[in-house]
Amino acid sequence: MSGIAEEIKASVMGAEPVEVSYPEKGYHCALETSPDKLPDIVRLFDEKRFYLECLLCTDYTDYLELVYLFNTHLSPCRVKVTLKVDPQQPVAPSMSSIYASAYWYEREIHEFYGVLFTGHPNMTYLFLHNDIHDYPLRKGKVPVPPEDKERLDSFKPGEQEDTFFINLGPQHPSTHGVLRVVLKMDGEYIEQAEPVLGYLHRMHEKMAENRSYQQFLPNTGRMDYLGPMSFNLGYVLAVERLCAISVPDRAIFVRIIATELNRICSHLLWVGAYLADLGALTPFLFVFDDREQIQDVLEGITGSRLTYCYFRFGGLYNDVDDQFIAGTKAFVKRMWGRFSLYEKLVTGNVIFVNRTKGIGTITGEQARKYGVAGPVLRSAGIACDLRKVESYSAYNEMEFNIPVGEHGDALDTYKIRIAEMENSLRIIEQALAKLPGGPFMAEKVPKKLKPPRGDIYQVVETPRGELGIYIVSDESDRPLRMKWRVPSFSNLMIFPELARGMLLADAVAILGSLDLVIPEIDR
Amino acid sequence: MVNELLNMASSDAGKMVLGLIGVLVFVVVNALLLTWAERKVAGHMQRRIGPKEVGPFGLIQPIADAIKLLGKEILTPAKVDKPLYYLAPVLIFVPVLVSFIVIPFDASLQVTDINVGILVILAFSSISVLSILMAGWGSENKYSLIGAVRSVAQNIAYEIPLLLALLPVIMLANSLSLKEIVEKQEGLWFVVIQPLAFIIYFIASVAETNRTPFDLPEAESELVAGYHTEYSGMRFALFFLAEYTNIFIVSAIAATFFLGGYQGPLLPGIVWFLLKSYFLVFVIMWLRWTYPRVRFDQLLNFAWKGLIPLAFVNLIITGGLLKI
Amino acid sequence: MGERGFHLEKEIIPVKFAMVEKVLDLARANSLWPVTFGLACCAIEMMSTSMSRFDIDRFGAGVFRASPRQADFMIVTGTVTKKMAPVLTTLYEQMPSPKWVIAMGNCAISGGPFVFEGQYNIVEGVDLLVPVDVYVPGCPPRPEALLEGLLKLEEKITGTRRFPRVESA
Repeated sequence: MSGIAEEIKASVMGAEPVEVSYPEKGYHCALETSPDKLPDIVRLFDEKRFYLECLLCTDYTDYLELVYLFNTHLSPCRVKVTLKVDPQQPVAPSMSSIYASAYWYEREIHEFYGVLFTGHPNMTYLFLHNDIHDYPLRKGKVPVPPEDKERLDSFKPGEQEDTFFINLGPQHPSTHGVLRVVLKMDGEYIEQAEPVLGYLHRMHEKMAENRSYQQFLPNTGRMDYLGPMSFNLGYVLAVERLCAISVPDRAIFVRIIATELNRICSHLLWVGAYLADLGALTPFLFVFDDREQIQDVLEGITGSRLTYCYFRFGGLYNDVDDQFIAGTKAFVKRMWGRFSLYEKLVTGNVIFVNRTKGIGTITGEQARKYGVAGPVLRSAGIACDLRKVESYSAYNEMEFNIPVGEHGDALDTYKIRIAEMENSLRIIEQALAKLPGGPFMAEKVPKKLKPPRGDIYQVVETPRGELGIYIVSDESDRPLRMKWRVPSFSNLMIFPELARGMLLADAVAILGSLDLVIPEIDR
Repeated sequence: MVNELLNMASSDAGKMVLGLIGVLVFVVVNALLLTWAERKVAGHMQRRIGPKEVGPFGLIQPIADAIKLLGKEILTPAKVDKPLYYLAPVLIFVPVLVSFIVIPFDASLQVTDINVGILVILAFSSISVLSILMAGWGSENKYSLIGAVRSVAQNIAYEIPLLLALLPVIMLANSLSLKEIVEKQEGLWFVVIQPLAFIIYFIASVAETNRTPFDLPEAESELVAGYHTEYSGMRFALFFLAEYTNIFIVSAIAATFFLGGYQGPLLPGIVWFLLKSYFLVFVIMWLRWTYPRVRFDQLLNFAWKGLIPLAFVNLIITGGLLKI
Repeated sequence: MGERGFHLEKEIIPVKFAMVEKVLDLARANSLWPVTFGLACCAIEMMSTSMSRFDIDRFGAGVFRASPRQADFMIVTGTVTKKMAPVLTTLYEQMPSPKWVIAMGNCAISGGPFVFEGQYNIVEGVDLLVPVDVYVPGCPPRPEALLEGLLKLEEKITGTRRFPRVESA
């Protein structure tokens, strides 16, 4: 873990990495660099088989700061590399040739902050549209210069001989929301796929800068409506880390139970929706039947069916009662019996296996370059589950395993998700057995949170993978910057590469296997 | 007056006209019933009820749907190829009507018994591909076009095993007339002698009617609504009607060729015939609500590398055995 | 994007074929086919409504058509962004008349929780884009609420209500 600091010092002239306290900050090592040294440093990380976890920008008014977060999959060693950029003429070198995942992150920063990345192949609109006149996330009013607007608006697919374009979405039954993928087709074969995002960009990150910490809580549930508990948990953990609030044991265990129930809920919906993509509609209704049971249980404690906002800084919204515990136990019992049904209905189906086997195969190297997360990453054989690797709450007290795939194809992601549901059930059983008494809320949590100056990074494992929350506080009651590193976003990045040369039907199967939640991508 | 009418009815032309009217009524009633049945079957397979509030057991539901579709705006998208776009939904109906003329519902209930009955059905059913292609091409919609092209490839591929599976039965019965084929099955249904041919025929017929797992031309999760994406209101209803009638026709042919048609003890022939046909229709629905969809290349591979050689082998063996 | 509401310049007196109209209305109300069009969180609740427990198909409204040409009404389920607005309008225009719109959830009604000073990307209410017939509030509304919205729409079409109204205690 600590070795990386020396290695950077040895390999790159003049770099001065600083080791920081992981429990406080959420990263191990920080390093400030300059534009000319950046490529060398990034290349070093690439050689050491780090993946680019997140790339973000913060506007400190006097200067813009680009933050590159690198990490390794199996033993967490998170390095924060920062690069100061002049706010008048923001230019930085593009890293997209080294890390494929930088390609989209840089486009995003260009749109929202106006930072121009030299050497980037395609600086066009990813989220926004040409009706935006100021850079949305800049602190002052910074108008988009006309030449930048022209550059951003330059994505215009034109037809060529022998090929034609198909818009998969924004209204299309298989994109599960409002994702648009422009497919360049040669007959039924895909030559090129270009996702266009932003049809559900709801300005969460901008809102975070306009709200107090508490006020932003409900937003988390709306970012990922299928796994709101995980997003809720990530956010409260981040703020608790930032303000050093400790949480009573009972709350920790209830959080685990609720989050895992929600994870099953999300995976169930995926199974149904995926099968619907492949043309089988009935499993969809079967999984909703199970989902309703979970929703009944969670509704009793949270008061809502879908966009939960149950966790609070320092604990929970309210305590769980016997009814909840009895309901959870009943559900766990029921769910154990349901797997055989899914086995018969889905896993054993020859058509299903033929449609998913060998489709969308991801290698470990690709997974690293694109920074994919969650079941998609694990299907490539990398056993990275943040609940274990970078344990939070009380997951290190729980016994569960990390299912990994062999081939990295869509069938593997299906198997992994089914196995994860079983693991979640096991975690729930253990947490229920261990559930301690006592208060469900920490005492003395201030009404108005004013965290100390500084930044932190918090990760949690959502049903779709790694969620990272980067918060910069300037001692006011609102964050200066809150960046959400979302798993669907990085998972979608790999889609164009997977879809190339595939049939249209396969593209739908691949897109489904990534388990995308659009508002999470668009934020 | 009454006598004249009766005379007219007993004449050949009169019989034809009456039969056609009967067929039209049957087509409409059958389609209405099948849409209702499909939704009910789907509902019960999916742990829900399906249409329930509109009339008893939701029986009025298809009528409400039909009236609603009739009352919809007749919408023609601006860029369509008008002649093709208009003609396609009408043309898809011709083979449907013709097929009914030769199907024997009962020993005496048949519009006309043509001695090459099955050829008529197969020849005319090829036209439906043409109308699908017209719809897809005329719609000026890429999804429609892909759907139509898929449909053509699929129908051509599956017509061959369909025909090859019917041939052994024709050889056994020594006739192309549907009625004679049924008569020949008195005592022993051909499905017992030709189980393989029955299975091949049934799979191919599911593909011919574009039903799951072979519903690629209208694959919702890929092609929105396939070749009829741009059709609305009554024109869409015609495609719908044709689809359900086609399902009935392939089931009726299966019943006629393999399950003894109207033959059966106790109950009148027509009841047996409808029972057998609708049971097969139910199986097709059952498949639809259970299976995912195959991929295009798998679909074609299955036909050309699986079904067709198998059907040929079956045909040769049957021929050889008959010769001996 | 226009103003909220619609203003007719002069009253139009339609010619009525009383009986036919009645039958048509009855048929329309009992056979409302929605477009498969999910925007955000509410879309999941819309799916729930068509699933086993709530089963919108009981009322004949379970035939979700992916092509707007074959649909009768659109459930706007979620936040409409400015990027999405032209797409939504196109979808609405592609539907054949008579057509209806249900605005499901606070986002579709008014922008919901995403309205704040300096917001740059959402349309504050779908009724700025297309005429809305029924508003179903909630964030997200429960499936029961959407069913009630459907009944309201039926009531709007036929003038009579399917079930007796539940009196609030």
